[in-house]
Amino acid sequence: MVHETLAATNAVVTLDVALPGIVWPWLVTVNMWAKSIGTGVIFMLFMLLRMHPESAKSLRLSTAIVAFIFINIFLLFTLADLHQPFRMWHIFVHSHLTSSITVGAWMATIFLGLLTLLMFFAWKKNDEAYDKLLLWVAILAIPVTLYTAALMAQCTARELWQMPTEAAQMILAALLAGSATMILLGGDKLSSEAKNTLGVVLGLSALMAFIIYMSEYIFGPMKAEEVAAVLDYVKGDGQYTVMFWLGQWIAYLLPMLLILLSRVSKSESILKLAAILALVGLAMVKHVWLMIPQLLPMS
Amino acid sequence: MQLGFLVDLHLCMGCKGCEIACKVENEVPLSTWRLRVKYVDVGTFPETRRTFTPLRCNHCENAPCERICPVSALHYLENGIVNIDKERCIGCSGCVMACPYGAIYIDPQTQTADKCTYCAHRVASSMMPACVVACPVQANIFGDLEDPTSNISKYIQVHQGGIQVRKPEKGTNPHHYYVGGGNVTLNPLASHRIDGHSLFTKITTLPVGGHH
Repeated sequence: MVHETLAATNAVVTLDVALPGIVWPWLVTVNMWAKSIGTGVIFMLFMLLRMHPESAKSLRLSTAIVAFIFINIFLLFTLADLHQPFRMWHIFVHSHLTSSITVGAWMATIFLGLLTLLMFFAWKKNDEAYDKLLLWVAILAIPVTLYTAALMAQCTARELWQMPTEAAQMILAALLAGSATMILLGGDKLSSEAKNTLGVVLGLSALMAFIIYMSEYIFGPMKAEEVAAVLDYVKGDGQYTVMFWLGQWIAYLLPMLLILLSRVSKSESILKLAAILALVGLAMVKHVWLMIPQLLPMS
Repeated sequence: MQLGFLVDLHLCMGCKGCEIACKVENEVPLSTWRLRVKYVDVGTFPETRRTFTPLRCNHCENAPCERICPVSALHYLENGIVNIDKERCIGCSGCVMACPYGAIYIDPQTQTADKCTYCAHRVASSMMPACVVACPVQANIFGDLEDPTSNISKYIQVHQGGIQVRKPEKGTNPHHYYVGGGNVTLNPLASHRIDGHSLFTKITTLPVGGHH
């Protein structure tokens, strides 16, 4: 509707202040990417210990360490993005519980504590305690990975970040990143059946994430003029068109094809290549989706 | 008490007196604005006209910035003003991302969020906001929306059919109204914003909070 109005009115902003540039920069992309890995490997270990226990049991310590490192990266980049990082403790003493940031900070902190405990149990080789705790860690990993979707939904200004699709994308990103990381982490320790299972998870999560992005791409402009304006940045000669499509290919389409190829040829190298591409592409996809709503003038 | 603002765009002549008064009163740093007047030219020469729209925080009843703030730095005052405690702010920029009106900025000096507070400090001393005092044509009308005898309430009663808010679809229930507004003045997507073609500047964007 606005496009017709523009033609009719020929309305042009002739004097205004400079608008703010990007508010949440690449630091937030790393935040989301690292969190997907940190929570995703927990989901995958939980699944593998039930489906392929013999193969996965040797991964208890390494998985906990990887999750611990990536959740710390996630928290570090969150901290680095604050304009007043030394006031971070305010979140815990002045908690405002309607904010997803607050709830997320509390959950991530507890999650990190539980990961530390997991590492301790793994180091002590107390598998029984580890497996009992892993259940609760896996359950907590769900809201930890979802809270960013809630945060994006609370950004009322950014119409593109609708809660239903963002929540699905966050979970799918965790499954994609988790399975890709476990394929790389597993090495020779995982049986070919276990790797096949991880390949299926990787392929299906890539397929579903791709479908959702394409649905947003095609049908999003029909739901709101703001979404239409934002998606123009990834269409035609838009500012992020190249990066968007590169991300879709590297994160989703190529891994799907490579996983099929690896199953046909029984090649673990191809599976590993799919995993690496998925991890690289995920960062690109997340970055584009984070940036484009910020390019739109709000006033 | 529920304080609110109304701008009669029929009266506004784009003098920017309100903008300057706000800058001075609140010591708003360079490169940031709590209140600004946007010029939009409409039509094709020679059938053209220029519109002026003062833009400031809408002090929403259902404020997304208050909801997303992790430390309650953004909070409601009893008189309905959405105020900010800069000492508590951690600079997460969540409020900047949440505000549908682009009314919040990161102060480059304090590295905390800031915005129009309807001059809460002046209101507390029974004074009018600086922009209201500075306006030469009384286009800015400020007062208690719950008091039917206040100027703003009377204005709303008189102009019932012509009262508008920005982006009503966001469900924020702004306490900032316009008379004489239209799609071009209130909807940022209804006008072209051509890079480098503003009257006095070629700068179109600035880094948030200075060099972060």
